Amino acid sequence: MLNFKINSDKIDKIGNFTKEEKNFRLKNLDYFNDTGFPNKKSEDWKFSDLKAIVSKNFSKLDIQLSKSKKQKVDFIKDFEHNYIIVVNGELTMSDFKYEEKSNIILKSFTNDNYPNKKEKNPLINLNHALSDKGFFLEIKENYKFKKILVIYYLFTKDLDENILNSKNKIKIGKNSELHLLDYFVNDSKKNFFNNVYEDIVLENSAILKNIYLQNSKSSGYFHKYSKNKLLSGSHYTSFIFPAGLKFNKLDLEFDLEGEKSECNLQSASFLDGKEHQEIKTRINHLSPNCKSHQKVKNVLNAESKGVFQGKIFVKDVAQKTDAYQLSKAILLSESSEFDSKPELEIYADDVKCSHGSTSGNLDKDSIYYLMTRGLTQLESKQLLVNAFLNEIADIIKSNSIRNFIKTKLETQLLNEYKKH
Amino acid sequence: MLEIKNLKASINNKDILKGFNLKILPGEVHAIMGPNGSGKSTLANVLSGKEGYKISGELKYLGNSLDEISIDERAQKGIFLAFQYPTEIPGVNTSNFLRTSLNKVRKAQGKKELDALSFLKIVKEKSNELGMDEKMLSRQLNVGFSGGEKKKNEILQMKILDPNLVILDETDSGLDIDALKIVAEGVNSSRNSKKSFIVITHYQRLLNFIKPDFVHILSDGRIVKSGTKELAIELEKTGYKGIN
Repeated sequence: MLNFKINSDKIDKIGNFTKEEKNFRLKNLDYFNDTGFPNKKSEDWKFSDLKAIVSKNFSKLDIQLSKSKKQKVDFIKDFEHNYIIVVNGELTMSDFKYEEKSNIILKSFTNDNYPNKKEKNPLINLNHALSDKGFFLEIKENYKFKKILVIYYLFTKDLDENILNSKNKIKIGKNSELHLLDYFVNDSKKNFFNNVYEDIVLENSAILKNIYLQNSKSSGYFHKYSKNKLLSGSHYTSFIFPAGLKFNKLDLEFDLEGEKSECNLQSASFLDGKEHQEIKTRINHLSPNCKSHQKVKNVLNAESKGVFQGKIFVKDVAQKTDAYQLSKAILLSESSEFDSKPELEIYADDVKCSHGSTSGNLDKDSIYYLMTRGLTQLESKQLLVNAFLNEIADIIKSNSIRNFIKTKLETQLLNEYKKH
Repeated sequence: MLEIKNLKASINNKDILKGFNLKILPGEVHAIMGPNGSGKSTLANVLSGKEGYKISGELKYLGNSLDEISIDERAQKGIFLAFQYPTEIPGVNTSNFLRTSLNKVRKAQGKKELDALSFLKIVKEKSNELGMDEKMLSRQLNVGFSGGEKKKNEILQMKILDPNLVILDETDSGLDIDALKIVAEGVNSSRNSKKSFIVITHYQRLLNFIKPDFVHILSDGRIVKSGTKELAIELEKTGYKGIN
């Protein structure tokens, strides 16, 4: 097995750092090298043995040093939007043409004052050690975005067994509102690893609506750790349509710090081939009267594997918590696999918490019914899969955005079906 | 229209149809009555092409064997089964589904597919005839529909698809008298010299509204008695035990 330990001299190649920052990076590199990529012996990775996956699919992992080249962007034409362009993790361009620019701060971002400790998730330490790009976006108080902001995450075709480490931070000021589309476009046909640290803060009564979408299938291996802090009365809705990567793990942590804050996660994925995808959530109810709602739907074809690990933690003071979690999976082939691990840890006594998890095949009676109406077996299955997944996209309010998302998802599905 | 000779069907090694014979000419309405477990629903399933049955005997539709014909092909050739328990399908919009279905059938029959507008015109007209709330069409297929609404939705599909052979599987079950009248009227108004019906039912009640040309009593996988609609009335008096 290859040794994926990363030499400390790499740090100097990333940039010129103060002694203090260099020490922080070196320390974090030590923490990472201690364990390396996590394997299934670690509870949080027991369904996603990253060490095995990386060893099997990579012969090396280069830290990308070359400056990102100018990249042609295929802009979305279906709806008006502001945009930010991020190439291989690096902020390269932005346009807030529909907004009052004085309310927006956008700059390149690398590190903040993060605690210097061994993290439970070693990829956080790896990111702290190596991250050299990313952006910081701040929306000032009392400003509601007029149009959606699309962040184009572009990956260039020269990526080949590289590892990218980046950090993005978004802060939404008091009473402000942002709608965001994270849109991933990948030109590389080769394997590469993308390790992202995301830091999101919603101040009092702020609203963030976020959609995560892959433009098409690609050979990316993605990991994102996302830390979300919600202050009083703030709302975060996240639609996650993450399918299409060789490997994807989203490790999402939400701190409902302020009273009456709410988070709502909705996810729908169609996994195919040998795709491996995990969504891991931890929702920390830390104040009274907060709500969390999670619905994760997966359709698994061929030898794909889906994982959902969802934990709801309710602190003793967090009375009147309303927490809901549901995971549903449809397995289309004998070789596909879905693992689900729901967890509740509750220290308050006046709470409403529920969770459920189901997995099974497509309903035979439904296929029969549709076929008696003239649809072929394949069309019937396709219709049922679409219906199962569309439930999530159907919640999106804007017609043009919803249609764009649904068309993207349905085209991806159709392309898969054509192969069979 | 349909010719069934010595049809045998078994499922999980259990024999259900044990030599079933029936000949239906265009324009005829045949009622098939029988107690629970006599094989009525199996007959409906086998005619529609449902998988899982071991079948022998002869099954001819419009002069051709149905042996190798799949469920969807049968539907495209004009065989329609109205379900006893229509399946609820979450996430599928009723109106979109009806249009997909109609266009599949039209395409197979060499007709032009309908655009959304012309389809809407047809579906509105037909659903009004059945006293259906138009809002139902924008709901998810059969989800949360009452028993009556589900059955009306089946008849609506029958009217839209305009099949040659209609199998009504216990369409009267779960219907109150008003809904029953509407459903029966929906069937009666579709009757013509080219279309044939198989009406499967437990009770004579439905046959007061849909008048059959022939009545057959099914018992233990075979037709034990055939007659005209008077047979149904006799059956109502004597019960299935009185027949034979």
